[in-house]
Amino acid sequence: MLTLLPQAIIDGLLLGGIYLTVSIGFSLAYGVLHIIDFAVGEWIMLGAFLGLYLTAWTGWDAMFFLPAVFAVFAVVGWFTQPLIQRVTSGAKGRPVLMALVFTFGLALTFRGSAQTVFGIFTHSLPTELAAGSWYWELGPFMVTIPVVRLAGLLYALAITVGLTYLLKHTDLGLAIRAVAQHKDAAGLMGVNIRRTNSVVYSLYVGISAMTGVFIGAIISLNAAMGPDLSLFAFFVVVLAGMGYLPGVPWASFLLGLIQSFFLIFFNPGWTLLAVFTVLFLILLISPTGLFRKGV
Amino acid sequence: MPDTVWKKRVVVAGLTAFLLAFPLLVRDAFLLRLFTEALMWVGLAITWDLIAGYIGYLNFGHGVFFGFGAYATTIFFTKVNLPFWPSLAVGGGVAALAALVIGWPVLRLRGAYFAIATWAFGRAIMQLALVLDVTGGPDGLRLPPFLNPHFFAYVMLALVGATYVVLWVLLERAPFGLKLKAIREDESGSLAIGLNPAKLKLQAFILSAVPAGLIGGVYAYWITFIDPSSVFGDLVTDQAVVMAVFGGLGTLIGPAIGAVFFLTFKTYFWAYLSDFQVLYLIILGVAIAACVVFLPDGIWGAVTRRQEGRRALRKGLSLNQGEVVQPPQPPAGTSTRTPVRHKGGEEG
Repeated sequence: MLTLLPQAIIDGLLLGGIYLTVSIGFSLAYGVLHIIDFAVGEWIMLGAFLGLYLTAWTGWDAMFFLPAVFAVFAVVGWFTQPLIQRVTSGAKGRPVLMALVFTFGLALTFRGSAQTVFGIFTHSLPTELAAGSWYWELGPFMVTIPVVRLAGLLYALAITVGLTYLLKHTDLGLAIRAVAQHKDAAGLMGVNIRRTNSVVYSLYVGISAMTGVFIGAIISLNAAMGPDLSLFAFFVVVLAGMGYLPGVPWASFLLGLIQSFFLIFFNPGWTLLAVFTVLFLILLISPTGLFRKGV
Repeated sequence: MPDTVWKKRVVVAGLTAFLLAFPLLVRDAFLLRLFTEALMWVGLAITWDLIAGYIGYLNFGHGVFFGFGAYATTIFFTKVNLPFWPSLAVGGGVAALAALVIGWPVLRLRGAYFAIATWAFGRAIMQLALVLDVTGGPDGLRLPPFLNPHFFAYVMLALVGATYVVLWVLLERAPFGLKLKAIREDESGSLAIGLNPAKLKLQAFILSAVPAGLIGGVYAYWITFIDPSSVFGDLVTDQAVVMAVFGGLGTLIGPAIGAVFFLTFKTYFWAYLSDFQVLYLIILGVAIAACVVFLPDGIWGAVTRRQEGRRALRKGLSLNQGEVVQPPQPPAGTSTRTPVRHKGGEEG
């Protein structure tokens, strides 16, 4: 059993990378716009399908299309955000809850449309990276690293570093942080709130869609995969503290490690339940996340 | 206004007579099935609305109580060999217990956290039902068939009717409903005026869970087969949400209308356009999203607001013409100042 320990750790970190990509854009969107987007998994799914169709059409490697998928969905997000804005800023009662219901409806629409258009079958994105894997043996220990998963982890870290740079070292990032901190005050200081919100939402949708391409290559894609991914995005964001961006990587890796340890050392059937239990305990003991920094 | 009260009584009496007579008059099995299922969804939609519309907490795991009721009833009926009615009571009891155990910690969370926690809980319970032995795992459980559609129509009618009356009395006639609305408007404020929000929310949570559990138990016996995805699946909660939002949150009649409307639509859609079943999910989603944007008070809210507007308009017109104006006569001995009405200046 102990010989599997390094493999469990590595698997957990690689899995954590996937969760990181799923949840980082989502956490940013929550931090700034204060909406829970039930459609996060659906954006990922749609991005994956766009990647699938582009690769089938051109025959190129799926990884070439990351920028294209990002661009397409950034535009889609740009035009979706005003609708959400309309719901949350309306004079009707309980705007936040209504926004929640709205994105819930959006998620159902996307899932239904995808099942209608793309069918119910499971596909896999073809990429050169999926063929390779590295293997080491050191005494009794052995470790396998699939190259495509490592690429996913690197992609996740690159996105995280990129977002951090954007937020900390650019004017746009300053504006985003100002809006996240106090919307009205930021508006009075001359920040264009509507534009900033749209930028954040389109960034989030673009990143999520790009993530879909990786998930399609690493695991698989089908039209009904959305809710499970949304669930993991929620887990990570609740663990990290809602809207607290620096907590997201730690929470993702923790979740990945929990899952891989359970998978290898305990009963695989109970893995998801273990994850649920952890989420539940965290919500009860410290609703603002592991670092008590959530909003 | 005795006139409208009289009208309301006639409408309620007529509706009750219609509901009681419907299963007897109808020979068509399809219509009877639709009738029973519509009642079931009315029950689920109004109990969901009790939490969402009256307290303002979005419970995305409402289907769990339905599933608990269905599974508990089935297990006690087929494996413990209890008769049906005690098994059903056990189903309701299990749902109440589940609501107590979940609600006590989870109701402390607010807003989005509550929605996520209940959603996650719903999916966790579904996972549990898939791996346990006693629930039959993914294969589900079978019940001995009892082929008497009229029996189920009347049982469902009695159950949902009783639920509706109890909720109506508690929410619209008793102080309980006002207290819940106070929590919805301002939870800290309700605490400050001496209410106990934690206790009230828990009571309401259990009140919404028990009927859902009982309905689940009757559903299981009616359909004679349950599996995790049919009773714990997302669709149970999803449809209740759509029906309540579509009909109008914060009322009892709104979700009931929404449920009847949506179920009729769904049934005929599936019956006649069965090749396009997946389109149903799209329609469901578009209906929710469009409702939130264009009809935030639902159909019922839009209708009543229109009526109120018309009534106010008529009143205003008659005030202007000086026909019906009866200035309140101050009783002798009190101040002679007539109350002054401000127009729209309540907030200032």
